Amino acid sequence: MPVVKLNNAYLERLTKTDIKTIRDNLPMMGSEVEREEEEQTDVQFFPNRPDLYSAEGTARAMRGYLGIETGLPTYAVKPSGISFTVDPKRATIRPYLGSAVIRNVHMDNAMIESLMGLQESLHWAVGRGRKKVAIGVHDLDRIEGPFSYVAAERSTTFVPLDYDIPMTMDQILAEHPKGKAYAKIVEDLPLFPLIHDAKGRVCSFPPIINGELTRVTEDTRNILLDVTGIEPRAVMVAVNIICTAMVEMGATIESVDVDGSTTPTLAPTERTVSVAACNALVGIAVTAEEMKGLLERMRFDAEVLDADRVRVTIPCYRADIMHDHDIYEDVAIAYGYDKIPASLPPTFTVGKPHPVQEIYSLVRGILVGMSYIENTPFTLTSERVSYAMMNRPENPAALHVLHPISEDQTIIRTDILPMLMESLSLNRSRELPQRIFACGDVVESLVTYPKMAAASIHTVADFSEIYAVVDAFCRMAGLSYEVRESEDPAFLDGRRGDVYVAGKKVGVFGEISPDVLVAFGLEHPVAAFEMDLSDLL
Amino acid sequence: MDLTINEKRVLARLAEMKSADAAALAEKLNAPADSVVQWAHLCADRDLAVLEKNVAETAVLTEEGKKYAAAGLPERQVLASMQGPTPMGELTKHPLSKIAIGWLRKKNWIAIDKGVVTAAANVPEGEDEVALKHPVAGTAGCKELVKRGLAEIVETVSWTISITPAGADIAAAGLDLREEVGTLSREQIVSGEWKNLPLRRYSVDKLPKKIYGGRVHPNQQILDEIRALLFEMGFTEFHGSIVQNAFWNFDSLYQPQDHPAREMQDTFHLAEEIDLPEGWEKIRDIHMTGGDTGSTGWGGAWSPEVARKCVLRTHSTSLSIQHLAKNPNPPVKAFSISRVYRRETIDPTHLPEFEQLEGIVMDKDLTFGHLLCFFKEFFGRMGFESVRFRPGYFPYTEPSVEPEVWVDGLGWVELGGAGVFRKEVTAPWGIDCPVLAWGLGVSRVSMLRMGLKDLRQLYRSDIDWIRATPVRRV
Repeated sequence: MPVVKLNNAYLERLTKTDIKTIRDNLPMMGSEVEREEEEQTDVQFFPNRPDLYSAEGTARAMRGYLGIETGLPTYAVKPSGISFTVDPKRATIRPYLGSAVIRNVHMDNAMIESLMGLQESLHWAVGRGRKKVAIGVHDLDRIEGPFSYVAAERSTTFVPLDYDIPMTMDQILAEHPKGKAYAKIVEDLPLFPLIHDAKGRVCSFPPIINGELTRVTEDTRNILLDVTGIEPRAVMVAVNIICTAMVEMGATIESVDVDGSTTPTLAPTERTVSVAACNALVGIAVTAEEMKGLLERMRFDAEVLDADRVRVTIPCYRADIMHDHDIYEDVAIAYGYDKIPASLPPTFTVGKPHPVQEIYSLVRGILVGMSYIENTPFTLTSERVSYAMMNRPENPAALHVLHPISEDQTIIRTDILPMLMESLSLNRSRELPQRIFACGDVVESLVTYPKMAAASIHTVADFSEIYAVVDAFCRMAGLSYEVRESEDPAFLDGRRGDVYVAGKKVGVFGEISPDVLVAFGLEHPVAAFEMDLSDLL
Repeated sequence: MDLTINEKRVLARLAEMKSADAAALAEKLNAPADSVVQWAHLCADRDLAVLEKNVAETAVLTEEGKKYAAAGLPERQVLASMQGPTPMGELTKHPLSKIAIGWLRKKNWIAIDKGVVTAAANVPEGEDEVALKHPVAGTAGCKELVKRGLAEIVETVSWTISITPAGADIAAAGLDLREEVGTLSREQIVSGEWKNLPLRRYSVDKLPKKIYGGRVHPNQQILDEIRALLFEMGFTEFHGSIVQNAFWNFDSLYQPQDHPAREMQDTFHLAEEIDLPEGWEKIRDIHMTGGDTGSTGWGGAWSPEVARKCVLRTHSTSLSIQHLAKNPNPPVKAFSISRVYRRETIDPTHLPEFEQLEGIVMDKDLTFGHLLCFFKEFFGRMGFESVRFRPGYFPYTEPSVEPEVWVDGLGWVELGGAGVFRKEVTAPWGIDCPVLAWGLGVSRVSMLRMGLKDLRQLYRSDIDWIRATPVRRV
C-alpha cells in the first residue's frame, strides 16, 4: 500500500483545522498513520481510495468527515479548444488516452511535491506499475497544440527528463534510469507510444519518461495532462483524481478534445440506494434524512426520495463505488464503527473439529505420552534437504514453486522426517536424549494429505527402541499392522522396517544411516519413523 | 538429631580419638580424606565437631631449578669456567652467558675493565645456592629462587578435626552405625522389616536433576486453545488443500486479475493447473461487468487460463469460499487454522509461511454490528480486553474492518481483518444471506502471548525453549 507523505502546514491550511485533529481522525476514516514528524505525516491509505493519495484529496475528505465542508464537491470544466489527434496504429500498443488542461497553477514546493507524490502513488495503485496507466504533466506554455499521440519508430530521438542530449527511444530504455526500470512494459512492441506537439516537439514517451522540454517547475502556470493506458476506466480515474486535486490547489480545469470526444467531464454519477438495506447490512437504524447527513459527510450529495430510497450523487474521483454496499460502508464509517450497536450473532450451531485435525490431536496425545516433544516445522523445503541429504531419490510428485525466494524453499514437503532431522541438527548442542515429533500436511502431485514423523537421538538410540514406539503408536491408534524388511536408503540395512496396514505400505522406521547423520551434522545414533495418516481418516 | 550414617561414623571415631588429622581419620574410616572433611563439615554445621584448617607452605624446585641444583646456578658455572682475566667477547661464547653475566655483575663476582673480565677471588656460596640444595619456604634464599622462577611455593591444606562436648555427648549416648537403606526392596516392604531399618533421609534443599516430559509445541497449544474457544462458540472446523488454483485463491474472492498481490513477487506460483469448477462463467461476468449482482465489476478482460494456474494458498479465505460454495444454506459457522504462503524473505518478523485463522458466519439477518461484537467477545476470551475497530479494505468484503487490540508497551496492534462478504463473492454460489468473515494472523497472537521477538522460533524451535516454556501461561 502506498505511503503518502503529507506536509503538515499545507494539510492544515487545506483542511482548515489543526494537525492533531487530523491525525486523530485519519485512522477512523480508513488509513494508518505510519509516522508523525514535525513537518510531515506519513499515512498509508488503502488501494481502493487513490483519491486520498494527496494532501488535497485527504483534506477534501477530512473536511467532510469533520463536518467543516460537506456534500458533493463540484468541478467546472470549460473547453480549452486544444485537441489531440490519435494515430490509429497506437491501438495495438497502448490504446487509451485521457487528457486535460490545467490553468491558473501557482504551485509552491509543497504543492509540487504533493503532485509528484500523487502521480507516483497512482502509478502504483491504479497504474499497476505504469503498465495499466501512466501519467505525464507538462508545462503547456512551452508547447503548442494540437497534440498528437502516435506510434513512433523506436529510433525517434528527443531529450528525456534529467538529460541534456537527445537520445533514441531504444537508447532511453537501455540507459535512462526510468527507461531501465520500466523497459519491460514496452520492449516487445514494434513501435513506441509518443506524444508530440504541433511542431513535432516531443512531450512524452509514455509510460517511460517525459521530455526535458516540458518540465514542470514553480514557474509553471498552465499544465497539459496526459494519461495513457490499456484500460479506459482506469485511465479516466487517474485523470479525474489528478484534475480534482489540482482544483483543490486553486487551479481551473479545461477539457481537451481527444479524437472527437471531450475529456475530462469531471461529472458525478448517481446511484439510488435503500435505507433499509443499509440498516440491515450495517446493523443500525438510521432514517433516510440521517443517512443523507452521513453521506454528505463522506462528500456525496444525497436526495431523499422516500422513506427507503436515497439518490446518491458520487464524485468523479470515487473509483471504488462499484456496488450499493460500497455506499453503505461509507455510511457506516461516517456513523462510526465504535457507535454501531453491539450484539453477538444469534445463530445457534454445534461446533466440531475437522477429522484431519482430530487425527493430529490423537497423534499428539500418543507421542506426548511417550515423552516426545512436538515440533511445528516449515512445509516449504528443498530437494537437497528432503532427498539428497536423506540419501533418497527425488520424489517426482513433489511440487516445485516457480520463483523460489531462496535455495532452501524450492518445493512443498512430501515427507516430515527431513524436517525433524533439520531440527535435530539445529539442536545438536542441546542436552540428549532428544525425542521429537511433528504431524501435518504434505503435498504430492496436487493432493494434500496428513503425515507424522518421530525421531529419537541419544548415545544408544536403536532399532529396538523405535520399533517399540511404532508398535505402541499403532496399538494406541487402533491400527493392526505388519512389518516387512525395508529398502529405504535413509535407514541402515538390516535395521529398518516398512509398516503395512491392510496390505498397503504406510510407513517406515529404523536407525538412520550414518551417511544421513553426517549430512545433517549429527554425531549420535538416530532412530526414527514416519507414517502416512490417511488411513486413520 | 537426623545424622547421616557418615556423620555418625565420623563422630564414633572422633569420640575415641578426641582430635585427629583428617588423613588419619580417613584411614580409620577407610574413606577418601576429602569425603571425611565434607562429613566433618556437616557435623560442624550441627556444632558436633570443630575443624581447624592448617595451611603448610612447601617450596618445590621447578624443572629449571632442578637442573641448576645439580650443576650449579648459571653464574656459578660461568665463573668456574673462567681461567684468569677473559675478554668479554670470549666470555659471551659460554652457553649460559646470557643469563649469567647479569647476575655475575649484580653479585659483584666479576669486574670489567676495558672489555676484559676479571673474576673475584673465593666467591662463597650464596643464600640462594644454599636454598637450591635444600629449598625451605620462607627463607630469603628461597624467595630469591621463586623470583627467578627456579622454585615454587605449594600450599598444602590439612585439617584437624576435634569433637565438641555436644558431639561427645551424642557419641556417648550411642550411635546406630548400621548401613542406611536407600530404595526399599519388595521383601523389606512386604515383611514390614522397613519399620526397623535405618532409612536414608533425603535433603529437600538439594535440587533434583531436571527432566523434560513430552509436550505439545507451545504454538500448537495456543492454536488448540483458540480452536477450543471456537468449538465452544459453535464453530465447525474446515481444512483444505495447500495448493489452490488462482480461481479459488483470488478470482472467486473478487480480486482482479491484475491485482498486485497476485504477481510473482508476492505469491508462490506453480506450473500446475486445476480446472475451473462448474459455474466459473459467473465469476468471469462479475469481474468484467458485475454480472447480475448490481455491481459494475472491475471492467477489463478476465482470462480463464490465468484462473486455472495454481498457487500456494495465500490466505485461508480460499478455503472459506469453497466451504460456503459447498454449504450455501444457512446457518453456517465455520473456521480453519491453516498454513498460508507469501513470497517473503525470512527475517525475525516475516516468514514465507505462517498460520492464519479464518472464520465465517452465515445466517439470515446478520449485520456488520454482529461481526464487531463477535470480535470483541473473541478477543476478550483470548485475553485482549481493549479492542477498537478501524475501517479496512479487502477486495472481498464490504464493509471491511481492521480490528486492533491494545497491548501494553506496543499500543494498538492490528491483528487481522474482517468484513461482510461482497455480493460479488457470495451471489455466484446461490448464497443470499450475509456472510461475516474474519481472518486473524494467529502466529502474531502467539508471539504476543509468549513475548517472542522472533517469529522463526515458532517453526525452527530451539528445543531448550520448548522445554523451558511453561505449559500453563499466566
